[in-house]
Amino acid sequence: MAAMRKYAAALLVTLLLAGICCLRMMPALAAEQSQAVHLGVATCAGSNCHGASERQPNSSVAGDEYTIWAKRDKHRRAYTVLLGDRAIRIARAIGLPDAANQKICLDCHTDNVAPDQRGRQFQLADGVGCEACHGGASTWLGTHISGASHRDNLDAGLYPTEQPVTRAEKCLGCHFGDATRFVDHRLIGAGHPRLPFELDTFTAIEPAHFTVDSRYVERKGRITDMQVWATGQAKALANRMTALLDPKHAQHGLFPELSLYDCQGCHHAYEPLLAPQPSSSGLGPGTVKLNDANAAMLQVAAARTAPAAADALRTHMLALHRATNNDPGAVRREAEAVRAAAQSLVAPLATHDFTGGEIRAMADAVIALGNGPDGWRFSHAEQTTMALEAIATALKSAGALGDAQDATVRKSLDALYASFANEASFRSDAFAAALRDFQRMIKP
Amino acid sequence: MRGIRRGAFIAALLALICRGAVQAQAPLPATDGMHLGVASCAGNNCHGAVERFKTSHVAQNEYLIWSQKDKHSGAFAVLREERGKRIAANLGLPDAEHAELCLGCHADNVPLARRGPQFKLSDGVGCEACHGGAKPWLGTHISGVGHAANLAAGMYPTDQPSARAELCLGCHLGDAKRYVTHRIMGAGHPPLGFELDTYTAAQPAHFRVDDDYIKRKGLPDDIQFWAVGEARDLKGRMDALLDPENAPKGLQPELALFDCQSCHHATNQLQWRARASTGLDPGRLRFYDATAAMLRVIAERVAPQTATRLREHMLALHQATTADWAAVTREAAAVRRAADELIPQLTQRKFDREDARALAHGVIAIGTSGDDLDYSAAQQETMALGSILAAMKLQGFIDDAQVKRLNDALDTLYDAVASDQSYRPDKFAQALEQFAEKLTAAR
Repeated sequence: MAAMRKYAAALLVTLLLAGICCLRMMPALAAEQSQAVHLGVATCAGSNCHGASERQPNSSVAGDEYTIWAKRDKHRRAYTVLLGDRAIRIARAIGLPDAANQKICLDCHTDNVAPDQRGRQFQLADGVGCEACHGGASTWLGTHISGASHRDNLDAGLYPTEQPVTRAEKCLGCHFGDATRFVDHRLIGAGHPRLPFELDTFTAIEPAHFTVDSRYVERKGRITDMQVWATGQAKALANRMTALLDPKHAQHGLFPELSLYDCQGCHHAYEPLLAPQPSSSGLGPGTVKLNDANAAMLQVAAARTAPAAADALRTHMLALHRATNNDPGAVRREAEAVRAAAQSLVAPLATHDFTGGEIRAMADAVIALGNGPDGWRFSHAEQTTMALEAIATALKSAGALGDAQDATVRKSLDALYASFANEASFRSDAFAAALRDFQRMIKP
Repeated sequence: MRGIRRGAFIAALLALICRGAVQAQAPLPATDGMHLGVASCAGNNCHGAVERFKTSHVAQNEYLIWSQKDKHSGAFAVLREERGKRIAANLGLPDAEHAELCLGCHADNVPLARRGPQFKLSDGVGCEACHGGAKPWLGTHISGVGHAANLAAGMYPTDQPSARAELCLGCHLGDAKRYVTHRIMGAGHPPLGFELDTYTAAQPAHFRVDDDYIKRKGLPDDIQFWAVGEARDLKGRMDALLDPENAPKGLQPELALFDCQSCHHATNQLQWRARASTGLDPGRLRFYDATAAMLRVIAERVAPQTATRLREHMLALHQATTADWAAVTREAAAVRRAADELIPQLTQRKFDREDARALAHGVIAIGTSGDDLDYSAAQQETMALGSILAAMKLQGFIDDAQVKRLNDALDTLYDAVASDQSYRPDKFAQALEQFAEKLTAAR
């Protein structure tokens, strides 16, 4: 009886805590649009805060986050590139006098908050600085400095970058775009690079200024590379469909918004029979295809955890491909169905505890995709490779890859990346060979 | 050297074109008679001589040139090659050699009733595919009555610019029944590039302009062939645009109407330039307009008011791609009218020494002004200058030394357009400047 009461009390406490957790997540998200003042990178860069020259052994965080960002992270240079020749050329091509004073550029190339939200030490020239991702610090800096728990920081308004869903939302806002920020085909045509992205890989190569160790897990929970990868794919696909449905990107004259289509579907040299092979889209030769690499990856991620959603995704993506080529009236309906399927997968994938067996099965499925009818497409080769990097990292974390095997796997990953390093000279046979090599290396 | 380099460029283009897969049957004149087959022309005392007959008014080795050097003779054979098979498979056809879609241009695909006992489809684009079914005129032809009598009996007038343009463009651009759509190209068919005068020379021509030729057919003018060819090309392109078959079915219209390199370029090149003649923003597909640019230059010299209309409606046509298909067809009809009106004017025009110079400088200015340095325009500009130079030489407007210097400059232009992958607009513009300098010096 006493045991029962004890269990009920424990359950109650758990539920309460869970409730508090949920409640505490909300202000953090709301802080995104909050009026918190962005104090500026200088505020965080003190040598005894985040500007240490090397990792601090006795601290719960490394302390050298600013240093890593300042020296190695391209976010640091996001603003300065706007002053370069290329940026000026891009700006002029779309009828702007410059890039460094334009909202369309600044919204992603710096922490472009409203003037009344810029603190004394805030500088636009700092590019995508600390508070562009972590949120304006005026509301949470006190809590943060006083060494309160991570939860308290979130509660005070720190953005939860560690959570797959919120991280995906944050990063994709620029790395894919959202309702107000979008690299359309006009901007790309003017010279802006296309936007390749995969959440887990890009977190790693940023490079991340955190290390997942026991203290990290203790403070922020165990968040796996597979969760980050899968959530990133689901959010990316949902955002892609939102963009497709956005009236701003509706048909303009004879053509749809081309940035939503597979870049290399058109931008390839017309060498003899380079491309004309059947693809899973079911479309004939010479047709323009939507970029469906996120959808292909998401199908793999969902195949085991939510087979019904994976099936719905496959069916509606195929219908969407057909609609864009033969039945414009059906585009909206199918895009909405794809978005619904993707959105339904966000929460389950963000919390799913992927087992070693599941990760291995996903590796096989991603490799099979690479060898399948779409493997020759550049966009798929790119997402396949980044998926395999996330998978390799996850296997390593799960203890399923020893150091020696990890080293050989990394080498074959490098070869995969090298096979499409140059878009103009991408050859699917080189990619296929590198993929076969990877397959051998990743075997248990 | 010149021959080799220019030859390689044109061979590459021809290799692309001669492997053309297109639709249905050749639109021969209603009077077209029975096709007797290549064998009936190839006798060694007719057109199958091993070398030129000195005493005859035609060379008589025409068959040999065709069978040995002219890719038209291999047009059917390529359908059986690996690539032909693969294209057919990609299009869902069992093979290419029995598909009307392919035979319409890869052979002399006349109806069975008009195929004589010696006729063979496998001869490819043979004598009668261009000269017309020989049954009604072979007697006149053999008896040596004269070219006019042959024509009267039904031989096709390939020596006349508008008739030649009509005939060649039927496949090299396509017509209502034969059109290489983007689906066919996506399946592996090469894109089509063409300029009437250059392609006549590069075929290679199996005739030679000598006294006999001039006496029988008149002195041909390369500028006229070029000019009429461009007008007919533009008219044909507008017909394709106006063809309901090519209107948008899904979200996009028929992509073969557009400039290949407006999409098929590497994304790592910063290549966009503003063009006053299109007024389009970056990131947009452009209609193929290189032949329109040439025709505008020609019209500025011959019919300035038509040139103005052409310029205005081409600009409006480009702008219409940002509006809707109805606007596109409205402007296409206006461009078509202008091109169509020019054909008879150009056919009657006697292009003189000053015309040749003005046209060459006009063509050069398209590139050097920076308005159009697209690869498609660079190809047309190069071939146009080659044709103008050929006319200047044949009509004796400049001397041999000047011809040689200009030919060298032309080689540099051909080098610059050798491949769309290695094409660099700045290098091409430089080569144009050099050609212009030599042209100015050759007074």
